[in-house]
Amino acid sequence: MHHNPITIYNLSYRYTDGTQALNSISLSIRATERVALVGANGSGKSTLLMHFNGLISPQVGEVVVGELTVEPQNLKQIRNFVGLVFQNPDDQIFMPTVWEDVSFGLLNQGVRGEELEHRAAHALRSVELDPELFGSRNATGLSGGEKKRVAIAGVLAMQPQVLVLDEPSAQLDPRSRRRLIELLDSLPLTQLIATHDLDLALELCDRTIVLSEGEIVYDGNTHRVMSDPELLERHALESPLSYSRPYCQIEHSP
Amino acid sequence: MLLHLGAVLLATESQTNTIWTRLTARSRLLCTLLIVFATALTPNGRWWTWAMYAIAIALLILISRVPLLPLLKRVAVELVFVSVVLIGTLFRQGGDVLFQWGWIQITTEGLTVLGSVTLKAFLSLLTVNVLILTTSITALLHALAELRTPPLLVAIFSSMYRYINVLVDEFNSMQRAARSRNLMSDPRRQRTVIGNMIGSLFIRTYERGDRVHQAMLARGYSGLPPVAKMPQPSRLDIALLTLTIVILLIGQAIYL
Repeated sequence: MHHNPITIYNLSYRYTDGTQALNSISLSIRATERVALVGANGSGKSTLLMHFNGLISPQVGEVVVGELTVEPQNLKQIRNFVGLVFQNPDDQIFMPTVWEDVSFGLLNQGVRGEELEHRAAHALRSVELDPELFGSRNATGLSGGEKKRVAIAGVLAMQPQVLVLDEPSAQLDPRSRRRLIELLDSLPLTQLIATHDLDLALELCDRTIVLSEGEIVYDGNTHRVMSDPELLERHALESPLSYSRPYCQIEHSP
Repeated sequence: MLLHLGAVLLATESQTNTIWTRLTARSRLLCTLLIVFATALTPNGRWWTWAMYAIAIALLILISRVPLLPLLKRVAVELVFVSVVLIGTLFRQGGDVLFQWGWIQITTEGLTVLGSVTLKAFLSLLTVNVLILTTSITALLHALAELRTPPLLVAIFSSMYRYINVLVDEFNSMQRAARSRNLMSDPRRQRTVIGNMIGSLFIRTYERGDRVHQAMLARGYSGLPPVAKMPQPSRLDIALLTLTIVILLIGQAIYL
């Protein structure tokens, strides 16, 4: 286990249309830490997440994953180290059946035979899906919550050390959202969660990073930032519901 | 593969344990391809050859225990599309003129070509549909990969199968959104609206393709879809493949 599985030095990124998505970002994620990455639409969250998995190469600055810098020659190891769960599971579950999709990453890792069966089944069980029941099912027929679980299982099967999730609670009904929170809470992994769902951030993450116009405007304790409505409002965010209700405010005060 | 996509509602994949379903998907696909190619490449007018192939296909339907109704429904739907091509063959020049109206002529040669091509299409579609109704899409994709079909093509087929329902859902949502704003009530505007929807769907599909590719890369995809395991052919596979080749050769030998 690396002490700091992800470290970023002065990372900047500009899209070809001239949009400056990230501007001189520096941060470090500690092992087994759960970090929320919050910010308004277009603040650079997704761009930053894609750097962790090497889907985007740094233009300026450096991203170090484990002991490797994000460079084309290291991408295979980096993608085994950092698992990325996309916002829309329909983008992520691209194989015809659940079993094939969960096995996809393992096959790319060169895992075959019994080990593959074991790891894929274990990943499905860890997201509370029965491999016998769900393995042969077509992804089209799954509910939103089940799709999200399959997407997470597909990443967990690869046994990453860091789990990066982009808007994990988007499009989930309250019960699916609750089960997802419980699932993420039970995973003993370093987690980086980009979300608009500040209640989820409050519940899962001790540390929160606020991004605004490609820059880090806050990096620290989650409760502290959630109880600072002025800061949140300045960066197009709102206090979580549980903070805007007085009886909950007492409960959550740091 | 496209037949699978086009007839999702009629897809009642048979799970019965028959000699046919005990073959590996690769052998089933090979048998099907051999029959289809032999049928299609037989020159026009060789009725006895096709009669023999028809008997072989009937036997195949019997041993595979494919439900007849879904099979015939699917073939009927597919023949409608094929008939567009078939009509053109009726007006082929040559032989005796049987009917003439202005410059349109129906000749004996035209009838022979029409009959031959119709029979070829019917037998080929029957065979392909037997394969499709007895083999899951996943097994078919694996079989294609095992038979050294270009991996990119297999990946495209796989994505097509996975995403066709997603795209249909998206198109339906757009249609509902258009209806909710009364855009579909004017028949004159309907074509424009549907045209715009198709264009929009194309752009969305393109963008989704980009995101799917990123998701694939994120899980270690390096350009070749991985294959889990390849089942070894049994004696039954070899025997049935040999029998297929023998029947096809005898059929061709009739006219030598």
